[in-house]
Amino acid sequence: MEHFKYVGKSVPRVDANVKVTGEARYTVDIAFPNMLWGKLLRSPLAHARILHIDTSKAEKLPGVKAVITGKDTPFTYGVTHMDQKPLHMNKVRHVGDAIAAVAAVDEETAQEAVELIKVDYEELPAVFHPLDAMLPGAPVIHEGVEGNVAARPSYENGDVEKAFAESDYVFEDTFETPPIAHVCPEPHVCVAKWDHSGKLTFYVSSQMPSLARTHFANFLKMPESRIRVITNYVGGAFGSKTLSRFPIEFASVILSRKTGRPVKFQHTREEEFHYSTLQFRFVITVKTGINKDGIITGRHFKAICECGGYVSHGASITSVAGALQGVLYRYKNYKYDGYAVYTNVPYGGAWRGLGNPPVHFAGEAQLNMIAAEIGVDPLELRLTNATHAGDTSATGALVRSCGLSKCLEKVAEEIGWKEKRTNPRPNHGLGIACGVHFTGIRLPTMPDTDFAEAKIMVNDDGSVNLTTSCVDLGQGSNTVLTQIAAEVLGIDMDRINTIYGDTETCPMEWGTRASRVTAIGGMAVKKASENARDQILRAAGEKLEINPDDLELKDNKVLVKGNPSIHMSISEVARFNRYRENGQAIMATNHWDAPSHGNISSAFSFGAKAIEVEVDPGTGRTKVLRVVVANDLGRAINPAGACGQIEGGVHMGLGMASTEEIMLNEKGGMANNQFLDYRVLTPLDMPPITPILVETNDPVGAFGAKGIGEMALIGTPDAFVSAVHAAAGVWIRKLPVTPEKVLLAMKAKK
Amino acid sequence: MKKTITLKVNGETFNLDVEDRRTLAEVIREDLHLLGTHMICEKGECGACTVIMDGLAINSCLVLAADANGKEIETIEGLAQGFELHPIQKNFVEKGAVQCGMCTSGMIMTAKAFLQKKPHPDEEEVRHAIAGNFCRCTGYVRIVDAVLSSASELKES
Ligand code: FES
Ligand code: FES
Repeated sequence: MEHFKYVGKSVPRVDANVKVTGEARYTVDIAFPNMLWGKLLRSPLAHARILHIDTSKAEKLPGVKAVITGKDTPFTYGVTHMDQKPLHMNKVRHVGDAIAAVAAVDEETAQEAVELIKVDYEELPAVFHPLDAMLPGAPVIHEGVEGNVAARPSYENGDVEKAFAESDYVFEDTFETPPIAHVCPEPHVCVAKWDHSGKLTFYVSSQMPSLARTHFANFLKMPESRIRVITNYVGGAFGSKTLSRFPIEFASVILSRKTGRPVKFQHTREEEFHYSTLQFRFVITVKTGINKDGIITGRHFKAICECGGYVSHGASITSVAGALQGVLYRYKNYKYDGYAVYTNVPYGGAWRGLGNPPVHFAGEAQLNMIAAEIGVDPLELRLTNATHAGDTSATGALVRSCGLSKCLEKVAEEIGWKEKRTNPRPNHGLGIACGVHFTGIRLPTMPDTDFAEAKIMVNDDGSVNLTTSCVDLGQGSNTVLTQIAAEVLGIDMDRINTIYGDTETCPMEWGTRASRVTAIGGMAVKKASENARDQILRAAGEKLEINPDDLELKDNKVLVKGNPSIHMSISEVARFNRYRENGQAIMATNHWDAPSHGNISSAFSFGAKAIEVEVDPGTGRTKVLRVVVANDLGRAINPAGACGQIEGGVHMGLGMASTEEIMLNEKGGMANNQFLDYRVLTPLDMPPITPILVETNDPVGAFGAKGIGEMALIGTPDAFVSAVHAAAGVWIRKLPVTPEKVLLAMKAKK
Repeated sequence: MKKTITLKVNGETFNLDVEDRRTLAEVIREDLHLLGTHMICEKGECGACTVIMDGLAINSCLVLAADANGKEIETIEGLAQGFELHPIQKNFVEKGAVQCGMCTSGMIMTAKAFLQKKPHPDEEEVRHAIAGNFCRCTGYVRIVDAVLSSASELKES
């Protein structure tokens, strides 16, 4: 293996010091002396026609500076379907749909004003489950979309029906996963500020500041140069701050323009739980044909995704999850039918894993059910069917690197799969699952690219400013990007200043999303650094009168290969190059478009999880004793950071498995919207986690890296339900696996 | 109604006129501009806003500023000595216990008050101590680790 100085080392985060001292600033911290606070009026009804909106009382309240309605925000938007409006004038489609917005001198006044706005509604019948919404005669939520099916993404390869007819066994099972919140520690928040040159500065907690600029330039018909989007440190995002636009963003921009003052909007914790987009509810039926030798002959997924009031990411997610599922095993016959369905619940969005966790849950849980039924080892079943490097999936994706089998073997070995299954302890059980996820993604509704950009500037003292297109959301991207630049340039990490999150100084970006930053953002940084390195070596070669090919960069110096006594510091080279006649800056940019050759992604990361649980037969409570995770992440640039992603992913995955669920009352309103009733796992709930990093050196990603942030979570609920079955003898097909469900199932079995 | 109160924060005395319904967390952030004290839930459910008041770790969003009159308060900004990080801060850096950082101040302040009372905790006790502190990013693994290694370091010094 090549020898690296920074890549592959567990270095402390570059932003750790300012975070442990409380100095790091987030968008929630932004305030201006004359700033106004905004609040939204949200619909109390799940489905209603708006007959009349009267804002006159609110406008007269002292301290109120402006009130706007849909007349002031004539924009239509969406991710794939342009079915959203910032403020609704005619119809609301879920509780919480925005209708009007107020800017006032403080939060309390804004809230008081919102309560003075009078809206007359004509209530319409509403529907709160996708299966109900698909029934004949169900309420029509969007005119012209009968049956409420907004999109029908599908894949087909081979002939599943024929395969089923010829299989030794055929199984069919249905699973359901509930809506889940991201629970971003920093809620969705923004401040819009217009100045008298006609320029808009927009502070937003976002995974895609460049896209926010593009969007608002289009909405406002302004040049992008007149809009500056700034993203500070982000207090967690998990997908919810990507392509979606939020009513608070439009409201702050329009209200600031109207009042000439900065306007801040911030979701309350309650709004954050329900209206910051959710992991969609999925109802998934899987039909699998399998032979006695354990070879899967064919598989058919029917995945119904509950979009909620608007499609948002629903169509793309339903599509992507089907494409990915096809990459996991060597399916000879594969069929996937996706349904993106409108209902009157708050709409969903991108949530860590982009629909892949629910669809994997169904597929992997069913595989374990089949293994139990036909009496084969679920580990062997997976190894028999696993995808390998060089395979082209049933959905057409070329897999260039693949550590799937290795991940499975590693977790099995580490958790003691064979021994523990041979000598099972009462009420104890083991579960296993595996998965695949993309590294970057091409969405059919966006330009066909998967790019990142980076810029390197060498300062006179030999230090470097690295400007990147990626946002550090907490996942540690600034650190790995700094490591990559340090590796290529041979300079210390603390001499690199990594700058991000300002569209005025940073290059364009395609989003800190889709587990793409290390591999794809990293490649832009690597290539820009290589370009700068070549410039340094050329200039040094001129000065030293040595062929640049005989020079190398190391320890902040240019050295002659094999004769390190001759050297120049990078500072000397930079100054020589700048201050000589016809001087030049050492500066490089890169635009890197990860080649995917028609596939949805340029690379696929794989992983496996093994979980050991103990179920209390008296209460149905599951105690997780241990989680072992192996992730094929191509190469670990920062192993400690990668393990941190795995630990956080397992935490969220166990939450999805056992406690997390957004609940609505019978009128579609919020039933749980605080930490007390939306249970995120605490330190006391968490088992020991053993992360194992499997490196497969992917040919596309920077230094062989692939994504990890989402794969870290995928498979956790799948392994969890299987472990519960091994311990308690019951299959729970509907998440979360609560003690009540386990107990009821155990009783029913007796 | 406004009340005049005196707060000693990180060793400095402040005389403030505050509305009696305002919380200590609001006053720390908005009046004293100590933005290192974060707020996630604003209702005592997440521990992000933890500060130390007269030696006890408290959720500052649950305490009225008026009720903190005359108390000694320590926030995250008071921990480092100049540029020298406090051992707990150092361990959070070295153990990789920080991701987005929103829970970090509260975790560190909780840990500090806890280790003052219980200098030799085991892992279980650390988990109990931070049980009221929500973190969405880390799975708590490295946070627990950082608190445990801080304990052994503080013990030695
Ligand atoms: S903000 Fe105070 S406990 Fe959550
Ligand atoms: S590090 Fe993000 S909430 Fe703890």
